[in-house]
Amino acid sequence: MLEVEKLSSWYGEAQALHGVTLQVREGEVVTLVGRNGAGKTTLLRSLMGLHKQTEGRIELRGRDVSRLPAHRRARAGMGWVQDDRGIYATLTVEENLVLPPRVSDRAWSLDAVYDVFPVLADRRRAPGTTLSGGEQQMLAIARVLRTGASLLLLDEPSEGLAPVVVARIGQIIGQVKESGVGVLLIEQNVRFAATVADRHYLLAQGRIVDALDNDQFVARQQDLLEHLGI
Amino acid sequence: MNHKKFAAGTVALASGALFLTACGGGPSSSGGDFTDDKIVLAVLNDQSGIYKDLSGPNSVKAVEMAVADFKKKYGDDAVVDDIEIESADHQNEPDIANTKAQELYDRKGADVILDVPTSSAALAVANQAKTKKKLFIDIGAATTELTGAQCNKYTFHWAYDTYMLANGTGTSVTEGGAKNWELVYPDYEFGQDMTDQFSAAIEKAGGSVDGTIATPFPNDNFATFLTKAASGEPDVIGTMQAGGDLINVVKQYNEAGLRDRGIDLAVGLMFITDIHSLGVEQFAGTTFTDAWYWNMDEEARAWADRFTEETDTRPSFAHAANYSAALQYLEAVQAAGTDNADKVVDQLEGKKVDDVFLRNGEIRAEDHRVIHDAYLAKVKDADDVKEEWDYEEIVATIPAEEAFRPAEDSDCSM
Amino acid sequence: MSDVLQYTVQGLAAGSFYALAALGLAIIFGVLGVVNFAHGAFYMLGAVTAAVLLDTTEIGLWWALLVVPLLLFGFGVVVERLLVQWLLRLDPLYNFLLTFGLTLLLVDLVKRKYGVSGLPYERPEVLDGRFELLGVGLPKYQLFVLIFSIAVCLVVWLVMTRTRIGMIVRASTERPELARALGINVGRWVTPVFGFGVALAGLAGVLAAPFRAITADMGNDFIIILFAVVVIGGLGSIVGAVVGGFLVGLVEAFGQAYAPTYAQILIFVLMAAVVLVRPAGLFGREETA
Repeated sequence: MLEVEKLSSWYGEAQALHGVTLQVREGEVVTLVGRNGAGKTTLLRSLMGLHKQTEGRIELRGRDVSRLPAHRRARAGMGWVQDDRGIYATLTVEENLVLPPRVSDRAWSLDAVYDVFPVLADRRRAPGTTLSGGEQQMLAIARVLRTGASLLLLDEPSEGLAPVVVARIGQIIGQVKESGVGVLLIEQNVRFAATVADRHYLLAQGRIVDALDNDQFVARQQDLLEHLGI
Repeated sequence: MNHKKFAAGTVALASGALFLTACGGGPSSSGGDFTDDKIVLAVLNDQSGIYKDLSGPNSVKAVEMAVADFKKKYGDDAVVDDIEIESADHQNEPDIANTKAQELYDRKGADVILDVPTSSAALAVANQAKTKKKLFIDIGAATTELTGAQCNKYTFHWAYDTYMLANGTGTSVTEGGAKNWELVYPDYEFGQDMTDQFSAAIEKAGGSVDGTIATPFPNDNFATFLTKAASGEPDVIGTMQAGGDLINVVKQYNEAGLRDRGIDLAVGLMFITDIHSLGVEQFAGTTFTDAWYWNMDEEARAWADRFTEETDTRPSFAHAANYSAALQYLEAVQAAGTDNADKVVDQLEGKKVDDVFLRNGEIRAEDHRVIHDAYLAKVKDADDVKEEWDYEEIVATIPAEEAFRPAEDSDCSM
Repeated sequence: MSDVLQYTVQGLAAGSFYALAALGLAIIFGVLGVVNFAHGAFYMLGAVTAAVLLDTTEIGLWWALLVVPLLLFGFGVVVERLLVQWLLRLDPLYNFLLTFGLTLLLVDLVKRKYGVSGLPYERPEVLDGRFELLGVGLPKYQLFVLIFSIAVCLVVWLVMTRTRIGMIVRASTERPELARALGINVGRWVTPVFGFGVALAGLAGVLAAPFRAITADMGNDFIIILFAVVVIGGLGSIVGAVVGGFLVGLVEAFGQAYAPTYAQILIFVLMAAVVLVRPAGLFGREETA
């Protein structure tokens, strides 16, 4: 459903991505693994249309979106959860949820969201940033699910969260995958990546250096940990 | 917008010019009939800022009228045929006024500079006149310093000053029964000067100043100042604000309904353009001292009609005074037969004059204060206004000898 | 005691007016990131337009309160499309300079057309006179200004907090990039929001017409006070603009009463004090670097 072909990005003169080619299929969870500065976040931002200096082809469900502005890509089905979760302080929890427009009939209803995340229902009138870190991450994910996005771009959802919360997020990703949504996930937590993902891309210095299925990934876990320098 | 930078540039240019004329001989003032076979009258005033409407470009028109009248009167008998008019914008900045005055005297060959509103600018030009030994007739500025400590042989003060305004309004309003005053004034030289003069006049006339309030300048909001001034229930509040600040004071005085509480408003300095811009209703009943009013008699009105043909507006007293000053200067040149400044000054000093502006006028030799009848004016009620600009009723004429500061009270020594 | 009460009431009346006038400035900065120096000139245009309408068509204050903001909204849209939008992606300094230049242009055009001494304006007779209660008095017009300004601020606040448009504007203000990534066409809101901010400036101008001198220069010093208001309240914060407006009004009133010459300086002392303690202003959010 997501076909990326020869995607390159620059920051001024400095090239951050060098012809990245990758795919995410429907109902597939794919991680991007790499050191800090390898270009993972730049890649997600380029896919989302937030990074201007980008070349290459991005196809979402057969449609070329590479010339579309960010808000049109969102409406085409991309749902981005940025690494700091992107919760609005000036919006309540519920406003954070209902802010983005619905983009498909896969969209979750507010009730469905509150069923799955009861804590959000309890705090619906509170300013978004008064939630705990884990709750904010739930809110960020719930927000893109409510739009009915067909592809989730998740930037380190497990970062800085307690193990039980990380496990909960893993469950949710599993649920989402069941419904046929594609997930592209940046993950430093190799163990967590191994539990949720089907395939993995290794990114180094702006290039895809390896593509692994989950078994290969698990087998090479020790090697990868060293590679990542964690 | 950047006055300072602009001024620095002009200073550089002008000092260069000064250097050239100093070396090259330049115009000399050492006798002879006419230094350059022509007379140059220069109007230096505010061509774009807050005083543009009350003097500004229309003062130049008034001077043109004077030149035309002079030529018509003397025809071939005129001692000089070529009379030119220059004008320049001093933006109410003393440093700009200073360099413009140098330029006008040295490079434009100005024999006399006219108008120059804003006291600090006028004092700068007076100093230039003294140095260059060329004439300067001030009309637009209010400071008595021009005929006081900073007077000089070449400077004349034609129309009005703070003493005349304060003395006229302070004395007559107090004598009219309003004994207790509160004075509100902008906290800079003009405001302080006016407040001192008003206080002196009020106390001399048997009244008392219960309080004075210094306000920032410029300022938009006078609500609490007025509340405070009114809190002691004075008979009258005297405001020394001018221009836009004056309009703010008057609007907010009316809004607060102070007149209904029996607290009158007296205005230190007001021009007919202020009444025109604010609307006569807002000023109705306000008392002030005027140097001249276009509709005060047939003679004034006839001249005002001519002025209106040229400009589409009615003249302020400053316009009429510019006309008068230019005309009397040319008459003095005619009588002297030369543009030599010292000889023209000799002609002007002590001369008694009656023209459209100067009534019972005298160009006082001691301090170069031009004295003339002044008028206590009251703004008409809207219902009494019969035509556009018909705003004032002259309630009393203040005789020339009483209207201005006596010469013996001046610190002037020439 | 009754003096203190009197000055408080006057301060609140002046403050409500400052709040209303600063509101548009805060909104424009919040959504566009533009420090709109021309806000004072738009305020002036509002007052001048009201005066011209009264003079030429006899449209009085009541209608002017509706018509002038609409005209200014249209003018704001034109200015945004023609000028402001091209500089939005550049350093904020560019739009500051643009609006500064625009101010000079507008002020000079008005001077050329209507002179420098100002234009007359009459308030409706209903609003003549004074309102007195418990020894505290306020001109009826100031009471009207107080109520009207608070009402407008309240409506704007309700729109901002209770409607979808308000939600979108808040989101676009807080994190414009994220809003775009969430499918919101932030650019579509930029023009109307700028127009709305300009309309609010014009509305303040109409409200000022009966009690302030209507001259081309009337906005020149006013904008400086409005900057103090929004800096105190926190740039871009609507609640901040309102609270800042009232604070400035009160400081000015008590300054006029007890330290007349320093009435204006005190405003900037307050601003400096606030910025020292909270650099982003009372309700401003600290930028996370």
